[in-house]
Amino acid sequence: MSELLVVDRRWIARGAERSSTTRFLLWLVPWVALLALGIYAAGLCLYYGLNQTNMDNRFAFGMWIFLDLAIIAMGAGAFFTGFLVYILKQADLKPILNSAVVLGFICYSGAVAVLMVDVGQPLRAWFTFWYPNTHSMLTEVTFCITCYLFVLILEYIPVLLRNRQLRKVPSFLVFEHQLHHLVPVLAALGAFLSFFHQGSLGGLYGVLRGRPFAFRQGFAIWPSTFFLFILSAIAVGPSFLILVTAAAEKLTGQKLVQPGVFRKLGLISGLLLGVYVAAKAIDTLIWLNITSRAVGFAPWDFYSYKPFGSALLFLEIVPLGLLPAFLLTVPLTAKKRGWLLCGAALACGGILLNRFVLTVQTLALPTLAFDEFLKYIPSWQEVASFAGVIAYGVIVYSLSYRYLPMFGRVKGADTNVSVG
Amino acid sequence: MFPWVDGFHWSVGHIVFLSLFFAVVLTILSTLLSAVWRTASDFRTHRATDMCWQMNFAELPETERRCRHQLAGRVLSRICDNAFDCRHCLKYAEFAALPVKTPSKNVGIGYSNQLLYHRGHTWVRPESDGNLTVGLDELAHHLIGRPDSVELPVKGSEIESNGIGWRMRKNGHEIRVRAPIDGTVVSTGGDEEGWYLKIRPRLPLDLRHLLREAEVPGWLSSELDRLQLQLSASKSQPCLADGGTLMPELMDALPAADWDTVLEATFLEV
Repeated sequence: MSELLVVDRRWIARGAERSSTTRFLLWLVPWVALLALGIYAAGLCLYYGLNQTNMDNRFAFGMWIFLDLAIIAMGAGAFFTGFLVYILKQADLKPILNSAVVLGFICYSGAVAVLMVDVGQPLRAWFTFWYPNTHSMLTEVTFCITCYLFVLILEYIPVLLRNRQLRKVPSFLVFEHQLHHLVPVLAALGAFLSFFHQGSLGGLYGVLRGRPFAFRQGFAIWPSTFFLFILSAIAVGPSFLILVTAAAEKLTGQKLVQPGVFRKLGLISGLLLGVYVAAKAIDTLIWLNITSRAVGFAPWDFYSYKPFGSALLFLEIVPLGLLPAFLLTVPLTAKKRGWLLCGAALACGGILLNRFVLTVQTLALPTLAFDEFLKYIPSWQEVASFAGVIAYGVIVYSLSYRYLPMFGRVKGADTNVSVG
Repeated sequence: MFPWVDGFHWSVGHIVFLSLFFAVVLTILSTLLSAVWRTASDFRTHRATDMCWQMNFAELPETERRCRHQLAGRVLSRICDNAFDCRHCLKYAEFAALPVKTPSKNVGIGYSNQLLYHRGHTWVRPESDGNLTVGLDELAHHLIGRPDSVELPVKGSEIESNGIGWRMRKNGHEIRVRAPIDGTVVSTGGDEEGWYLKIRPRLPLDLRHLLREAEVPGWLSSELDRLQLQLSASKSQPCLADGGTLMPELMDALPAADWDTVLEATFLEV
C-alpha cells in the first residue's frame, strides 16, 4: 500500500493539492463497479444481440441514441471552446480549454462506444467506412464522429504528455510542444467536422417523411433541424463545461478557474441559447401551420398522446430555453454563481428534453391509421450500458484532474514585477 | 470508398463526400506526421534540450524563477523571463550596474567566491588549461550525501546547458543534475573526487548566466528557506529558523520526507 501511495504522489503535479490516495481510491470504487456492470451489460448485448434491449423494428432508436445525441451536443464545448480560443482569439478562455478537450474526448469516445454496442457486429464496424451509403446522413455522422474522435485524441495527447512523469521524457515533451503548435489546425478541423455531424444528427430526423412529427422543411438538402442541432449544441456546450467545472470545484474544494471565465462562457451560452430558442419557436410555428398541414396532419393531434402533451413543448421552449437564456445573459443573475449554474443546468436539461422528444416521442407516435401509440421502457442492459459510459466519463475526468494540468498552474498567476 | 469497392458510383454525391472525407483524413495524418517530423528535426539540430528547458522553466513556480538581481538585492522583486540565461537578457547590464543591497552574512552553508554557480546546484570552476570543472554545490551534497550510483556521460560526449549533465540514484530516487554549460566532456570524476565533469567549453565562452559573489548567498538563503518549508512536518506553519546548520546526508536522516518534490525543486525539475 505504501508503494502505491508513493507512486500516486509521484504522478501528481508538483505543488498541486489533491486528495489522499485512499480517499481517491474510495471515490473511484463505485464508479469502477458501475463501469464493470456496464461492460457486462454491453457484453450481453454484443453476444446475444439486440434482443437484450427493449427496442424492436418499430422502436429502432431508444435510450442509447437519445443519450448519445445529448452527450454529443454537450461535448460540443470542446470544439466550440477551441474555436473561440484559437480561431476567434478569446485568450481569456484558455484556462478552461484543457478541461473542455478532456470533456469532449469523454463525450465522444463514450458515444462511439455506445454506438458500437447499438449497431452490433463490431467485427464488421469497418463496413460503414468501406461501403458508405452517401445518401444517408448517418454515414456522414459516422465519418465525422470517427474523424473528430481522432482529432480529440490528438488534442488530448498534449495534455496527457504534460503529466509530471511523462514530461521527463524529452521526446514526449518536444512532441507535445510541436503538437501543441498545430492545435489551431485541429481546432479548425474540429469546428468543421462538428458543424457537419451535429447538423447531420438533427438532419437525420428532419428528413423522415414517414415521421411527420419530426419531418421539417429546410434549405437545399438540409432540413431546419440540421441548423437547430448545430445551434443548440454550441449553445449548450459551454453550459455543460460550466456545470462540470463547477462540480469539480465543489468536489475538490478548490477554485479552478476565475469567475470571469464562467461569466464569459455563460454569456456566450445564453446568447446562443436565445438565438436557438427564437429559431426553434419560428421552426415550430412553421411546422404547426405549414409543414404538417401540407401533408394532411393536424399537428396538435400529436400532442394528444399522454404523457407527450403540449406541456412538453412549452417546457422545452420556455422554462428550459428562454429562462436559462435570461439567467445566463442578464448581468443581475449571471454575476451570481448560483443563478449562473442554475441557468447552465436548465440549458442542459432543455437539450436533454429536445433529444428525448426527437428520438423517443417521434418513434412512439402513430403515423398511419392502423398504427398504435408505442410504449418503450429501456431494459436493464440498456440502462446499465449507458451507466457504464457515465462511470467511464467520471473515471477518466477524475484521473485527468488528478494527474494532468487540466486548469493550468494551480497556485498564483504569472507576473513579472520589476521594482528597482 | 474507393472506385474498386463494390457499390461505388461515379456520382457527384460520392465524389464530393469522399473527397471531403479524404481531405479530413489527410489533414489529421499530416498534422500528426508533421509533429513527429518536427520533433525528430529538433533532436537532430540539438534544439530539443533548450526547448525542454524552456518549457520546464515556464512551469516552475514563481518562487523558483527569481531573477539573480533580486537575489543580490539589486531589485526588490523580479521574475526571470529568460530561462536563467542572462546572456540573452536585455536588462542585464542595466540591473548589474545597480548597487548590491544584500549584506554579507553566514547563510549556514558553504560557498566560494572563486566558483560560479548554476541554479541547478552545480558549481563551475575555470581551469588554467581553458577547461571547466563542474561539481555539486554544498547544499546538494548535504541533501544527497554519498549517492548509491552515478551515471556520468562518456568522455567526448557533448552536453548542453540546462540539459541533463549526469544522473545519480539515492534511496530509489533518480536525480537528474542539469549541466551548467555547453561543451564536450573531457574527463569524469565522482563524489569522491569532489567534482563530476571536466568540460571543454563551446567557444566563445560566456559564463554570464552563472551566479557569482553577492548573488550566491541570497540564492542559497532562499533555497534553504524553501528546503526548510518542504521538509517541515505537513500542515505546520512556516516559523523562524533556529539558527542551526544543515546536517549532512539529509536523505538518509529524513527518509519519510517527500523527496520527489524536494529533489525536483532543488534540481529545477517540474
